[in-house]
Amino acid sequence: MSSQTRQLEQDQVFKEEIPPPEDGRLALIIRYLKMQARTKRTLSDFLFKILLAICILVIVAPFFMVLVQVLSVGIPEVFGSGPGQGLEFFGTFPGPGLEGGIRNAIVGTILLMVVACMIGIPLSVCGAVYITEYAKPGTVTSAIEFAADVMAGIPSIVFGAFGFAFFVDFLHIGMGLIAGGFTLAFMMIPTVLRTTQEALKQVPMALREASLALGATKWTTTWNITIRAAIPGIITGILLAVGRVMGETAPLIFTAGNTLGVPTSVTGGGSWVASLPYTVWSYITDPREYLQAKAHGAALVLLLMVLAVDIIANIILRKLTRRVV
Amino acid sequence: MSQQIKEDLSQFIRELRSAKGSARIDLLGRFGLLIPALASSAVIVLILTFLWYESALIFASPEGGMGIIVNPTWNPNRDLYGIAIFIAGSFMCTILAIGIAVPLGMAGALFLSEFCPHRLRGPIRMVIEMMAAIPSIVYGLWAYLVVTPWIGSVLAPAFGVESNGLSLLAGGIILAIMLLPTIVTVSDDALQSVPRTLREASLALGATSTETARKVVMGAAMPGIGAAVVLSLGRAVGETMAVLMVTGNALQIPFSLFDPTYVMTSIITNQLGYAFVFPLWRSALFAVALVLLLMSISFTIMAKLFIRWGMKTRGLR
Repeated sequence: MSSQTRQLEQDQVFKEEIPPPEDGRLALIIRYLKMQARTKRTLSDFLFKILLAICILVIVAPFFMVLVQVLSVGIPEVFGSGPGQGLEFFGTFPGPGLEGGIRNAIVGTILLMVVACMIGIPLSVCGAVYITEYAKPGTVTSAIEFAADVMAGIPSIVFGAFGFAFFVDFLHIGMGLIAGGFTLAFMMIPTVLRTTQEALKQVPMALREASLALGATKWTTTWNITIRAAIPGIITGILLAVGRVMGETAPLIFTAGNTLGVPTSVTGGGSWVASLPYTVWSYITDPREYLQAKAHGAALVLLLMVLAVDIIANIILRKLTRRVV
Repeated sequence: MSQQIKEDLSQFIRELRSAKGSARIDLLGRFGLLIPALASSAVIVLILTFLWYESALIFASPEGGMGIIVNPTWNPNRDLYGIAIFIAGSFMCTILAIGIAVPLGMAGALFLSEFCPHRLRGPIRMVIEMMAAIPSIVYGLWAYLVVTPWIGSVLAPAFGVESNGLSLLAGGIILAIMLLPTIVTVSDDALQSVPRTLREASLALGATSTETARKVVMGAAMPGIGAAVVLSLGRAVGETMAVLMVTGNALQIPFSLFDPTYVMTSIITNQLGYAFVFPLWRSALFAVALVLLLMSISFTIMAKLFIRWGMKTRGLR
């Protein structure tokens, strides 16, 4: 503390000895700093702000470090023109030594997303419609809300272990598209349910009342008026859930299997399906050197897909809030 | 309760008989929507039952019993299924990550909410939200190829330790990075919701802006920040891929930051594929999953309590 005071006294001496320069950016900065160092309290105020600014830099730095790592190795794979690079990276299946492209993983991820959406969206959207439009606020509503919140916090590997025990083993579906898709669908439910609920709550009551006053039934009002008004919010929720689920590896390890081609059947051994996150994981832990670059390429593709979905969701959300406000 | 359900149901059937056309669709629709609503929340019950059903074997058998939770020896070849070592590993990793991420994240949220220039706020929040969207496998790839070699070649020699980098510290660092977006965004929202009048009152009494931020705004936002911390605790315990790739997966309780460790999520990922034909081994792995699930449920409940406390301090409910 005494050193700070001494520093302050020195500053004051410094100010008296050298006359302040007339103009220029540097002079302005110096004057600003001196103003900040006027007393001990303003100085600590200033230093605390600087410390917080450094903290935020430390927080966002890893984002750029991850980006640099993935881009520096991944770009030649994705946009290059060598064997197994560029268009070939997207368009060809991996050979027996895993050389070639990652078409199996891209197709597999899209297929899994389609299955997950087909099951997850109707369940969660209908559930949200029921608890906001039909159910009286009470035990049922809060029980469903609580279940959704708990599900949002369940670790992904627990979903994976459950999917393995229930779909693969208990229901004898076997690993593949159906088991993996259902497991991912369950992971989507909480996000979609909660965002749909929020979107429905935002729809003005007057719209519903106008429709009901015109003699429409509750059912017609809900599906033709309320849902239509809430559709941007619902789509945002679905996209956020898809973006989150697309990058999950752990639930797929024991439920989806892996394959070098595309699934040929809906159930049984032919339905094993590859996915981008699983491919990244298996390539990065493989001792063969050339697979490292492919892992980066696959990670870049996955990153671009996830960020694209996320950014579209954000744009829709921003447009929506602007319209409402 | 059952009397009322019976009454409701009979009334519903009476109405359905008398209704025609669109009114009948309306009534059927009401009933039809109840099914997905219940189904989506029945999933959690299904998960709990199945994990219990799968792990009942190890809890009932003489080799296992409830004692496996405190038994530190894991050796499936000799039918020893103590899972304490994984609980300890998860616990230490989480504590380390929370220790790094909470002070840093709170400082970041404070800056973002109180001092950030208006033009920078949007972009910084966008970057942080994008960080939350990056899949854990991509963080894992980066940590495995960049962070662990750095720890092995720079940090460990600096402390005079031999390490290949696959360590508790690497797990803590990558977990902290993955938690930061949650902590920053939730805390930032909590700080933003503090009424303006509180800040103005403090400034009018002569406090500097950092004193206001630290003592008044932080205090008022405490419940929200508490919820952020508890939510991120749940995420830290349940994180799988990134931690699996960098913690080294050695069956020991770590004694220093540079020792490898084994967490609960890793043991399930690594061994379920081999274990599913051995009933006891498989059952022990599902017991680990059950412990994970119960931990995440209790964290969610704690976070909800924090939020309710926050509502109460604002007099909202």
